[in-house]
Amino acid sequence: MAGDRKHYLWLAIVAAVAAAVPLATDNDFYLRVLFLVGVNYIAAAGMNVLVGYTGQKSLGHAGLFAVGAYTVALLTARWGWNPWPAFVAAGVMAGIFGVVIALPALRVQGPALAMVTIGFGIVVEKIVSEWQDVFAGQQGIYGVLPLSLGGTMFSSKQWVWFVLLLGVALHIMLRLLLRGRFGRAFMAVNTAEVAAESVGISVYRFKVLAFVISAVTCGLAGALIAQQNQYINSDFITFNLSIFILLMVLFGGHSVYGPLLGAVVLTLLDAFLSRWPGVQHFTYGALLLFALYAMPDGLAGFVRQMARKWAPGLLPAETLPRQLAPWRPRGEDRAETMLLEAKGLFKAYGGVVPTNEVDIQIRAGHVHSLIGPNGAGKTTLLNILSGIVPPDRGSIRFNGRDVTGLPPYRIARAGLGRTFQNLKLFANMSVLDNVKLGLHAHIPTGFFGGLLGLGAKAERAARDEALQILDALDLRDKAQEIAGSLPYGLQRRLELARALATHPRLLLLDEPAAGLNPQETQELTQVILRIRDLGVTILLIEHHMDLVMAVSDHVIVLDYGQKIAEGAPAQVQNDPRVIAAYLGADDGTQDDEDQEEGGGHVQ
Amino acid sequence: MAESILQAIFSGLALGSIYALVAVGFNITFNTTKTLNFGQGEFLVAGAFVAVSVLLLLAGKQMTDTLLPTEVTLTRYLLSLVGSMAVLALLGVLLYYTAVRPFVGQGGMAWVMSTIGFGIIIQNTALAIWGPSPLVMPSPLGNDVIRIGGAGVLPQEVLVLVASMAVLLTLDWVMRKTKIGKAVRAVAQNGNAATLMGINVGAIVVLAFVVSSALAGVAGLLIAPITTASVFMGLTLALKAFSSAIVGGLTSPRGCMLGGVLLGVIEALVGLWHAELREISIFILIIIVLVVRPQGLLGQRIVEKV
Repeated sequence: MAGDRKHYLWLAIVAAVAAAVPLATDNDFYLRVLFLVGVNYIAAAGMNVLVGYTGQKSLGHAGLFAVGAYTVALLTARWGWNPWPAFVAAGVMAGIFGVVIALPALRVQGPALAMVTIGFGIVVEKIVSEWQDVFAGQQGIYGVLPLSLGGTMFSSKQWVWFVLLLGVALHIMLRLLLRGRFGRAFMAVNTAEVAAESVGISVYRFKVLAFVISAVTCGLAGALIAQQNQYINSDFITFNLSIFILLMVLFGGHSVYGPLLGAVVLTLLDAFLSRWPGVQHFTYGALLLFALYAMPDGLAGFVRQMARKWAPGLLPAETLPRQLAPWRPRGEDRAETMLLEAKGLFKAYGGVVPTNEVDIQIRAGHVHSLIGPNGAGKTTLLNILSGIVPPDRGSIRFNGRDVTGLPPYRIARAGLGRTFQNLKLFANMSVLDNVKLGLHAHIPTGFFGGLLGLGAKAERAARDEALQILDALDLRDKAQEIAGSLPYGLQRRLELARALATHPRLLLLDEPAAGLNPQETQELTQVILRIRDLGVTILLIEHHMDLVMAVSDHVIVLDYGQKIAEGAPAQVQNDPRVIAAYLGADDGTQDDEDQEEGGGHVQ
Repeated sequence: MAESILQAIFSGLALGSIYALVAVGFNITFNTTKTLNFGQGEFLVAGAFVAVSVLLLLAGKQMTDTLLPTEVTLTRYLLSLVGSMAVLALLGVLLYYTAVRPFVGQGGMAWVMSTIGFGIIIQNTALAIWGPSPLVMPSPLGNDVIRIGGAGVLPQEVLVLVASMAVLLTLDWVMRKTKIGKAVRAVAQNGNAATLMGINVGAIVVLAFVVSSALAGVAGLLIAPITTASVFMGLTLALKAFSSAIVGGLTSPRGCMLGGVLLGVIEALVGLWHAELREISIFILIIIVLVVRPQGLLGQRIVEKV
């Protein structure tokens, strides 16, 4: 693609200029600053995946920097390893510690997450400064072996070239990874976790993965520092380092280029201010306080905004193919088989029992509706079926296998798609990306394939299929708009498109007509019938009775967590218990006997 | 052995009540604005230094001189308490308007960064005024060890425990029984609904930051005589206070108090056994609590509606 070629051209120019600097100067200070820019970029690039993409703020990455630095130091200085395998081991070790910090961090969100990571950093700091026998505290470990080429240690210039090489490789790989399904999944986890699970993304795995990526790059940065200095002590590992690493990413901004901008600007600032340590920290404080205020999206966001205003040609929109065949869902059609069978589902919250011994059967190829008064337990039942709420008792068989207690993303992958009562779109991503996220589980590219850019073909296929789906729901012309900026009715339809993209055998729709005007509800009826004709089975929660009666083959009625009736729409409509549930019945009379005066208590 | 355990429990209680003061400060702002001051440790330090400066000024000395034990009387100590609370309350207002208000209600965690930034600025300002050397603050009650059941206890430790418990219980009473306390709790439950009931939510939120910062000031003043207070002690203290809040439940004021005391005692007992394991043991405790009961001991689990 043209955009890609332009990117690599620019990258080559920038790399060539940076590589030429060591040829032009012998000044050790300049070389050192350039080296530090490279090292900081390496740390920030991984951190960007965690902070910028996945939205997990960590204030303890100095701890992971320490893991890398001390791994290299101990392996080479104490155990006589060759510096190269030690360098690799530093990355691996930091990755392992990334899992260690991720596991508790995953239990919490928001401020508690930030504090847990601070705690991790502090613990590492205490260990390396107080466990003198192993880590030598403030005295430090001397004789760390630097990287070498053919038996001679790297010179200052070679160090610069080496980090440049490493930085460019890292940039290319992360850019490839983040433009594909992994980047989208990280962002999905960031914006709407439940929705991410509903399209088959394991929030847990992607958070751990983001932690590990950031840990590996921070560990490598630590190893580089230790090996270049040939020395490490506990004074390197401070809370200020954690802040610095985070600040590079936040200040740089949410973009693949953010960490580069952040690393360059802050390292130069750091070098410039290093003569006045007091002022230096004061500046960090002020930056933390005001940078986000002035530039909420960081430097990269600021530049992008300026570019959009002054030079829109620099930000070309992706050109999309025009004509595509109509969309067909994959998967076999086995009409009249039992698609989903749940027995004895029970869920209680304290004394409230929103789901009480419910049995439910869903046949392939039909539209089923779930109705009932407010508070009848409809949404809870849907949440149980899709795995978001685990039932206290009962079993669910779906598509021929037992899915009871499986996490939502696995149920989604088994072929169950859903929409949400309160919209859960990936609001800051494009309409097209939202649908591509629906296709997440159907894009075969793996992690390493993504890093090496082997997924380009699958990515194009996914884009085309997403466009086909948008076509099918008349959203094609909105493909490149931001999902959150669509009008409400279209957002609802987009959520439907995203759910369809998961290729569901069964589609759960939670009040799809809520908030729609009569005309939009009409259109929705047609859309639902069209989806049914594509061979997708539907379970629908809805309050609009015209809609329910128009599309349903089978209606299930819930009241107070219990199933009180089911059958064909007409049959249910005349069921005295249903009328009583909706309109109220006289106290003390049997439901069966008072169907005529069932409406007597409505006020 | 029994004496040293008893002694550890006493100093743990004193330290724990400091954690409780700061943790309750976290709780108040978190409940009302879903934010908290990550620079609270620096506020605590500021509280200690302001108090010492007030004492010095009262003794007719320069702000950066050294205090002598005879110059600290109970009256002057109380005056320094008022001084440090007042300065900290002002800092709280400043913090709210510069670092919190621009980001409240936005997704993301910009306020975490901005409050840390605010804290760093405070720290460096303190460094510029008072320098990096530790602070000398004699206790108003002297240093004669009191013997309780064979264990030696510093009078200041008793003062810390009594004073912070008094502050916390008063606060608890105010929150539960008075009109303004009920207003704070209403804002914590649902700010929009509180506005509709005629509560001035903006004022309550500012008040929350004032109280939270003032509590940090009290904590700093109380702890200064028993630790070597330096500009750099804030972070660890705030971290442990926050850990207390997590253990007890960030959303529950009583949970925060319980968590603080619990953590203080555990830390002191572990320190008795292996001093270098203190930090690590607390971190491990937090991990266990987060795994078993993420909402904390007394916290309420928030169920997200899907």
